Amino acid sequence: MSSSLPAVYVLVLAILAGSGGWVATPKGPNQTLVRTSILLTLACCYLMWMVTYLAQVHPLERPRLSVVE
Amino acid sequence: MGDEYPTLFRSEQMSLVQLIVPTEVAHDTIAELGELGNVQFKDLNPNVNPFQRSFVGEIRRIDEMARRVRFFASQIEKEKEPIPIRPLYDSAPLVTVGPRAAQTIDELDVKLAEHEARLTQMNESYQLLSERLRELVEARHVLRETAVFFEQAATRETEVRNSLDDSSAPLLQHDDREQQYSSGELQFDLEFVAGTIDRARLSTFERVLWRVLRGNLYMNYIDIQEPFVDPATGAETRKNVFIIFAHGDILLGKIRKVAESMGATIYPIDVNADKRADSMREVTGRLEDLQIVLYNTGASRRTELTTIGESLASWQDVVAKEKLIYETLNLLNYDVRRKTLLAEGWCPTRDIPQIQLALRHATEESGTNVPPILHELRTNRTPPTFHRTSKFTEGFQTIMDAYGIATYQEVNPGLFAVITFPFLFAVMFGDIGHGFIIFFAALSMILFERKLGKADLGEIFGTFFFGRYIILLMGVFSIYTGFLYNDIFSKSLHLFHSGWDFPEQHGNETVVGASNGHTYPFGIDPAWHGAENGLLFTNSYKMKMSIVLGVIHMTFAVCLQVPNHIRFKRYSDIYTNFIPQMIFLQSIFGYLVICIIYKWTVDWSKASTQPPSLLNMLIGMVLSPGQVEPETQLYPGQSTVQIILLLLAGVCVPWLLITKPYLQYQEMKRVQGQGYIGLGADDAPRLTDDTTLEGEEEGNGRAIAEANDEEHEQHDFSEVVVHQVIHTIEFCLGCVSHTASYLRLWALSLAHAQLSEVLWNMTLANVLGMPGLVGIVALVIVGVLWLVLTISILCVMEGLSAFLHALRLHWVEANSKHYEAGGYQFVPLSFARLNEKQ
Repeated sequence: MSSSLPAVYVLVLAILAGSGGWVATPKGPNQTLVRTSILLTLACCYLMWMVTYLAQVHPLERPRLSVVE
Repeated sequence: MGDEYPTLFRSEQMSLVQLIVPTEVAHDTIAELGELGNVQFKDLNPNVNPFQRSFVGEIRRIDEMARRVRFFASQIEKEKEPIPIRPLYDSAPLVTVGPRAAQTIDELDVKLAEHEARLTQMNESYQLLSERLRELVEARHVLRETAVFFEQAATRETEVRNSLDDSSAPLLQHDDREQQYSSGELQFDLEFVAGTIDRARLSTFERVLWRVLRGNLYMNYIDIQEPFVDPATGAETRKNVFIIFAHGDILLGKIRKVAESMGATIYPIDVNADKRADSMREVTGRLEDLQIVLYNTGASRRTELTTIGESLASWQDVVAKEKLIYETLNLLNYDVRRKTLLAEGWCPTRDIPQIQLALRHATEESGTNVPPILHELRTNRTPPTFHRTSKFTEGFQTIMDAYGIATYQEVNPGLFAVITFPFLFAVMFGDIGHGFIIFFAALSMILFERKLGKADLGEIFGTFFFGRYIILLMGVFSIYTGFLYNDIFSKSLHLFHSGWDFPEQHGNETVVGASNGHTYPFGIDPAWHGAENGLLFTNSYKMKMSIVLGVIHMTFAVCLQVPNHIRFKRYSDIYTNFIPQMIFLQSIFGYLVICIIYKWTVDWSKASTQPPSLLNMLIGMVLSPGQVEPETQLYPGQSTVQIILLLLAGVCVPWLLITKPYLQYQEMKRVQGQGYIGLGADDAPRLTDDTTLEGEEEGNGRAIAEANDEEHEQHDFSEVVVHQVIHTIEFCLGCVSHTASYLRLWALSLAHAQLSEVLWNMTLANVLGMPGLVGIVALVIVGVLWLVLTISILCVMEGLSAFLHALRLHWVEANSKHYEAGGYQFVPLSFARLNEKQ
């Protein structure tokens, strides 16, 4: 049965990726920019994916096809 | 975060510097600083009339040179065949600093004057010669046409009627009798006037003449086929040749006067055919000569302009730079005692070593021994805001700056907009195919960056080029959201196993999918594509996603207040503003988000209650708190939780309203209690003013410009109260309206998906099944139509629309939660910006 747990697993993955990115960014004039961008990208992409996934785990509607293609 | 490098997180630290510049080095110093582009000079002579400033004479001279250069540019532009102007990066630079600088400028001045004189002279002579040419052409026409008249008249002698009345005898007959006495040469005793006139005026001319001379004239005219082109304006005029025969000096005089008043040109024509032939030859000869001279003049003018074109760009550059240098020099203050010029300006603290290097370089160039001195000043004026951007971040910073320039050292929303802006755009735009299109458009602009950067792109394409990195990120994120929405040009991809199985369909009945327990791992299940109730699912999903993303974005924006409060040492604001705002936002809308996510994680087919409507739940929470029916509850204990949350939110409102003004009041009381009087506009004049004080101490003096204007920070109590009331109302009402405003993320993505589907159904869907050659041809035509409409409507129009809405979300919903935007932009003296302005 589909469960919501994968959302948690991917969250952990995203946090790990974020920490890795934070540590791995080289010092330089763009360090803040790169770090912020990596974290924000991971956060936004994870959020959207999580919402999309969770919306389909226990769906309340079932698709109805009226004409066969 | 790294302390050694400036970041985009806040604006850079600026210092007020004072430069003491010996007068000999002043010009070169300013030139060097202009090349560097790091210093914003303050006007130290604000009370001086522009006409009384020290360097007015030089500016006037430079203005004259600028006028000449503009004249050359316009002359070159007017040439029909383009004259090449050597671009600036290709020209040898004119050195305007150093010991030979004054000489170079003088030489340039003289050269420009010479070129101008030569060019004007050539223009004038060309004009004159063209006039002369025109006259000669007209004369030739007149000669030709009148020859026809005379020949006609000669053949008509024999047809002339005799008349009984001598006075009304035809004029020609009089001549006829004369002829019998001549040797056979055609001799006319008739006087005539011949010339040319505008075709439009011809009938009026004839009528006026008829009336004036009472019919005692014979007029004949012929069209000139070729129109005359006026060289100055290019207008074409059509003329006619006329010849008027009349008798008597008075009549001829009248004819001449009328002709002149009507704008006709009169040419002297001889009666004698031989003499006319001579005239003709002479005119033709002069015409040829004149054309040769005209051609030569034109050629030498072109050569002159080509020579000018070689150096025009560098002259324009030098003139613009010199003007800017002298205008800046006018801002400096002449210190009489030390016989030097004093300059004050803002610069980034980090760049001070660079500036000192530039100053030393300027001194070496000019060859003097006295370097300009730079020292920092202490000041309590607010410095300008400077964000050090690269070509990548420039676009993002500009769109956030358009809302308002950040206050000095406040948190810069432009840093976060680098990712959040393209992301919110992509939520509204999500389509893999369209994302690819805009990604590749941006990529091609970036690959040809250097070439496109130098060309003049025009306003519209130039704006797109300026935002090429924004468009690039927008494309990348759109591809990602396109995968999540599972939408590529309105079709869906089957990348993984679907979560729905459809049974066999018999006939036309509706088929309902059965869940097979598998969740589509990345994106929306393709089974929803083409389903009857597909929109039902996607609308619910997208609406909830908009609320989730919106509340999280707003929470993030509220949290950005905290670094501001810490930096500006307003620690009390953290618990008078930030904490109540956060609690208010989270207790209602954060709770909504948690409920949304919780409702998704519950398996409602196995739950004991029906899935409740979240909207009704929220409304019920506020309108009828504590009354949650067990059949419609989301989780047990809901009513208690909701009452607590509502109370929390209710407490936050008076918390926001009252605490900060109360603390201010207490502070005020404390200060007054200690016997201090506030400094304001009504303070007594000081015993010693700043200038004398400054004279007493060498070295770190007070800034001159500071004495001229004061900043009043009135900590008026009533103002604080009013400000706080407005702030509270704005925040609380804003929470509700802004959360609903994020629903535009749903609305635009729905519109985009629908438009895309409609476009497909109306174009390619009809053509894909057609067989044979007709099918192929139709496919090609309709395919091109589909592509054009996709790019113009779906990418450009929808793209601009989504751009606008994403920007609005940043400006209104996010920035209102933390952004003060009370600063002013750092505008350094920079020669690079001169080229931008041009």
